[in-house]
Amino acid sequence: MKDRNSLTLSGNVSRRTLVLGATAGVAALAMPKVLRAQEKPTLVTSIRSLSNPYHAVWKTGAEAYAKWAGLEHVTLVSEGNSEKGIADIKAMLAKTNGNMVLNSDPNDTPDARPIVEACAKAGAYVVTQWNKPADLHPKDFNPNYVSHIEFDGIASGKTIAEILFKTIGGKGGIVALGGLISTTAAIERKKGLDAALAANPDIKLLDFQVANWKSTEAFDLMGNLLTRFGDDIKGIWAANDDMGSGALEALRAENLAGKVPIVGVDGIKTAVDAVRTGEFACTVTSDPFWQGGMGLAIGYNAKIGKFDPTKEPPEHREFYGKAVLISHDNVEEYYKTNVESKPEIDWNDLWGRVTGAIRT
Amino acid sequence: MTLLPGRIATVFGGRRWRSLAPLAVLIVLCILIAIANPNFIELRNLVRLANSAAVPLTLAMGLTFIILMGSIDLSVEGTLSVSAMVVVLLAANDSNGNDYGWWAVLAAIASGTIMGLISGLVQTTLRIPSFMATLGMWFIGLGLSVYMLGGSAIRLNDASIRDLALHRFLGLPLAVWVAIGAFLLAAVIQYYTRLGRHILAIGGDEDVTKLSGVNVTRVRITAFALAGFFFGISGVLAAAQLGQSHAVIGDGRLFAAVTAVVVGGTALTGGEGGVVNTLIGVLIVTVLANGMILLGISPYVQQTVQGLMIIAAVALSLDRVRLRIVK
Repeated sequence: MKDRNSLTLSGNVSRRTLVLGATAGVAALAMPKVLRAQEKPTLVTSIRSLSNPYHAVWKTGAEAYAKWAGLEHVTLVSEGNSEKGIADIKAMLAKTNGNMVLNSDPNDTPDARPIVEACAKAGAYVVTQWNKPADLHPKDFNPNYVSHIEFDGIASGKTIAEILFKTIGGKGGIVALGGLISTTAAIERKKGLDAALAANPDIKLLDFQVANWKSTEAFDLMGNLLTRFGDDIKGIWAANDDMGSGALEALRAENLAGKVPIVGVDGIKTAVDAVRTGEFACTVTSDPFWQGGMGLAIGYNAKIGKFDPTKEPPEHREFYGKAVLISHDNVEEYYKTNVESKPEIDWNDLWGRVTGAIRT
Repeated sequence: MTLLPGRIATVFGGRRWRSLAPLAVLIVLCILIAIANPNFIELRNLVRLANSAAVPLTLAMGLTFIILMGSIDLSVEGTLSVSAMVVVLLAANDSNGNDYGWWAVLAAIASGTIMGLISGLVQTTLRIPSFMATLGMWFIGLGLSVYMLGGSAIRLNDASIRDLALHRFLGLPLAVWVAIGAFLLAAVIQYYTRLGRHILAIGGDEDVTKLSGVNVTRVRITAFALAGFFFGISGVLAAAQLGQSHAVIGDGRLFAAVTAVVVGGTALTGGEGGVVNTLIGVLIVTVLANGMILLGISPYVQQTVQGLMIIAAVALSLDRVRLRIVK
């Protein structure tokens, strides 16, 4: 009982402290706002989470660009919560008085609209990546909505499938592990696989299963697929590397690692290592380091007037970026420049990786 | 005191035929799948089944005690990811120079136990319901591993720990033996120790238990620490199986574990069921997942089938007529 009383008491004290602390915090936030208005713009990155390797690298790229450009940089994390993602961005807009450049990977497709509208209203410059509704266009929010960047999932799914087919000699059975059914990336990458299968009639898709992007699910799934098809499985197509690495560990548990080639998408470190040892045939990456830095670079250059978004061609406003293929041929070099050291990217080359306007 | 086999027999064949339902579901399921695809009863597949049941079984052992008390432990995924993070960061890995070998495993299990202990202390001393207390611990654990792992996946390079998944003894991976050991330990705790009986009593009626002179607070704290201990072990197993650890290594495990416990016939209200039920529940869930792949059921309808099976198993295993209130 005595314990509980003292705990309640400490609760009271901390509440008072909290109020004092909050007041001080608000005051501190309010002060520099006036000063900041004339300053250089703040670079803001809005991503889903820091718990996945992909967005962790995204953040490194953003920081690398901010350092190169000598600007202040803030990362906002939505933790998969759309409301939080949008609210945090609005709070930043208020804090910077609109003097900011946002590079956002919206948590969900519909989120892009409120984000873009809020930025346009506050006069901030925004670049979105991956997710936006089909009827939301940068040209409708001139000049604030500078660009939207995606990567062609169909092309990625097809490229890795073709390399897999080549590795297993153009014939035999494969199994495929797909991502979360409802996501655009999962649907597009599967379309790419289907296209490659249609062009290679000697390759048989034994089964297509969904492991929801996760290595843990892929691990269990792969064991079950081995039971069903056994040695008929000559290769594994995975819609992302994390699932591919789960499948790889399932193979390893059966002494099959390296004997059945795997392909994936994303270029996470585990996959790059596996390409080096020959356990993966290839992986393809949208290069999150480039996405994190270049998204900010495009927005910042528009903001300071290096180019006028309204005068740019459509393929600079909504475009597919160039994915980087990591296979046996180039993995050593990729490892040296991207894993052992931070990649060197020419941040002035804004449009170097444009491969074309986005399909509508 | 009845011997363990006797106890198991009571659960299977004793008082009410309904306690047999989960076992019947398991057997029917196995027979149906074996008829449709004889590969199912191949030795290689049974080994695979055991292997994929190892982590969920160890997890569900811990969770069973909590659910028996009528509480819930939502910290499963957080605790598991902390334990997996600790083992990977302390054993040989590709991110730092540590190489403490099996000390890393001990530290990982200890960290799981401590997480559970904190859940128990928060719940009893601060009088916060287990739902909220463990929800908090879930996010604390997840946040901790995100921070420590820097958001990336870190590889486990210690060969002797990886042997948990890769080395086989009598045809079964070591992880399966660990899981069997965890099951036996849990069974001994439930059926032969005072702690086990007190946990069951609290689930049955906490007030009566308190009036009978049981230190309910201490039992609760111990039970949560015990659950954390089992979560810690499963974190090590998961890291050994996947050969790496990332913060989301526990994703989806909470729901799978709760499903297994409930499908096995342990009531969410507490006081009924036990670790033997959970063993059957875990096997049902694992066999079902395996069977759906063997039968070639489209991934687009698998979840629906899973949902139907859960409802069917629970409907069969609980005496609905006896329930006065359903909420």
